[in-house]
Amino acid sequence: MKKAVVAIITLIAGACHNIPSWENSVEGNFDALWTILDEHYCFFGYKGLDWDEIGREYRAQITSETDARGLFDICSSMLDRLEDGHVNLSSPFAVSYYRKWWSDYPQNFDWRLIQEHYLEFDYTTGGGLSYKELPEGVGYVRYDSFAYSMGESFLDAMFLNLKECPGLILDVRDNGGGDVTRVEQLVSRFLDHRIEAGAICHKTGPGHDEFSEPYKFYYDPQMQHVRWLRKVVVLTNRSTFSAANQFVAIMKTLPNVIVVGDCTGGGDGMPFSSSLPCGWGVRFSASPVYDPMGQLTEWGVEPTEGCRVDMDPEAAFNGKDTILDFAIALLVKDKEKDSALN
Amino acid sequence: MIRRFVVLFIAVVATIVPMFADDPEIMRPVYSAYMFEAGSSHLAETYLSPLHYDGWTIALAHRRAQAMRFNPLHWHMELGGRVSLDRTLARPARNVVEWRAELELDWSMMHKWRLEKGLKLYAGGFTRADAGVFYLARNGNNPVAAKASWTIGPKVGASYDGRLGRVPVALRYFAEMPLTGIFFSPAYGELYYEIYLGNRRGLVRGAWPGNYFRLDNTLTADFRFGATILRVGYAPRVFSSKTSDIVTRTVSHSFIFGVAQEWTAIGGTKPDTRVQNIISAY
Repeated sequence: MKKAVVAIITLIAGACHNIPSWENSVEGNFDALWTILDEHYCFFGYKGLDWDEIGREYRAQITSETDARGLFDICSSMLDRLEDGHVNLSSPFAVSYYRKWWSDYPQNFDWRLIQEHYLEFDYTTGGGLSYKELPEGVGYVRYDSFAYSMGESFLDAMFLNLKECPGLILDVRDNGGGDVTRVEQLVSRFLDHRIEAGAICHKTGPGHDEFSEPYKFYYDPQMQHVRWLRKVVVLTNRSTFSAANQFVAIMKTLPNVIVVGDCTGGGDGMPFSSSLPCGWGVRFSASPVYDPMGQLTEWGVEPTEGCRVDMDPEAAFNGKDTILDFAIALLVKDKEKDSALN
Repeated sequence: MIRRFVVLFIAVVATIVPMFADDPEIMRPVYSAYMFEAGSSHLAETYLSPLHYDGWTIALAHRRAQAMRFNPLHWHMELGGRVSLDRTLARPARNVVEWRAELELDWSMMHKWRLEKGLKLYAGGFTRADAGVFYLARNGNNPVAAKASWTIGPKVGASYDGRLGRVPVALRYFAEMPLTGIFFSPAYGELYYEIYLGNRRGLVRGAWPGNYFRLDNTLTADFRFGATILRVGYAPRVFSSKTSDIVTRTVSHSFIFGVAQEWTAIGGTKPDTRVQNIISAY
């Protein structure tokens, strides 16, 4: 009987698969964070990072005096080495952000300026979208964030209200991303046929190079709704990030689309979250998404050749957005060319 | 060839159908129990977090058992449904909540051996389908780990019919462990968004005790007060799966409180005088 009980206990204990655990100490939490990133972060190879070396460097900064705040600062500095806007460490007293993907560059966007000098505070807004037909006869649409839902009816009404415009400016500057399913919703309004929109892969194990084969995904045109098949100029800046970055990467491959402004901010990895023993949360890039050309856009999407434009601070002082002006001029020139041909 | 197959099929059906035909002299009442369970829960789901979570679990369950038609004295079947909810806090920080919900349906058939002094032993097999979810609200892009499985395996048990004073008491113990089946799991770092995009390769995994271990134990005591039966019990359950380096573990200890009844449906307006024998499931 005793042997049977021991055998059953052994069977149950053996069947419980091992889960690594760390002590809830300064060192334990550091090691947990390092290991979670080591096993799940997806851009070590792409960015050429030696995570072992980085871990050693920052672990050496832990002393017997290191408290929770000190640990947070050491961990945040270590995470900054990933140069990834999708990486955050969340504690009860602070959340770490890597900001250099936008802070090292000109902002190239001033919404107040556009509202005051181009839209004259008179425009239609709803679901994160704001739009108006500009005096030059081109449509202007701003989309704040892919976190805001867009109603299909609102999109229909917007495109119908701009139907006299030969071209559309779609401003996604300062759009920090949000829900990637809305990228498909919006892109599908500009399609006349099915397109390969990109590919996604995932880690298949803890090794830095363990990835699945990229899985291609496709977008179809929204045949039941109003679509825009005329010229589109997409405006970008360094704060165009994550889902907005993916939106630009796909739009750029469409024949009637020109991307104007600055390189986007990147943010190409789909984020994943996990937890440390002390209860802090960590978010990081886990699944790389390839653009339709099969390229990673973690470092951003460049504007169309010849369309890299910065905002001129002096012109901005006088109420001029030189990126928006460049886009208007492109569409007006096209409009005049079309008129001449007709 | 087809003719031979048809003849064989008819022969098999002709053999099996009488086994399931009702014997008018035997009545097989249904032993039906409704239960509430409450206890402690330990969860770990490394797709969401490497931490362990402790908290409580509650469940509502229904079980019905009936002797089989083909050999009511020695075989019975059970049909069960159970819905459970767990709320747990991360260990040791206890500042993150993880929820788990699960719906299970199972069917089992067991042979019964009647030993001396009210002791019976049971052995047979079961099949179970379940679907559930782990939910960690704090995880923005991966808050959910969905679970689903269909498994089969052996089920064994023992019961003892005795008395506590003047009250008839039935003590029963059953254990079941799936040996094979299929279960759902994304790959190591696969987001549900990728599945939404259409990549459904490799989501269904084969189960065996090495990658999918589950042991459900149920110990109950049924106190019969006339037509009503009061049930109390204890159910320790262990589950651990590992696939694509994702480990899922649930360990729970629940106390059971329930009521049961043994009933039979009598058709027509007159009692069936042919009934000679009433055979209970247990």
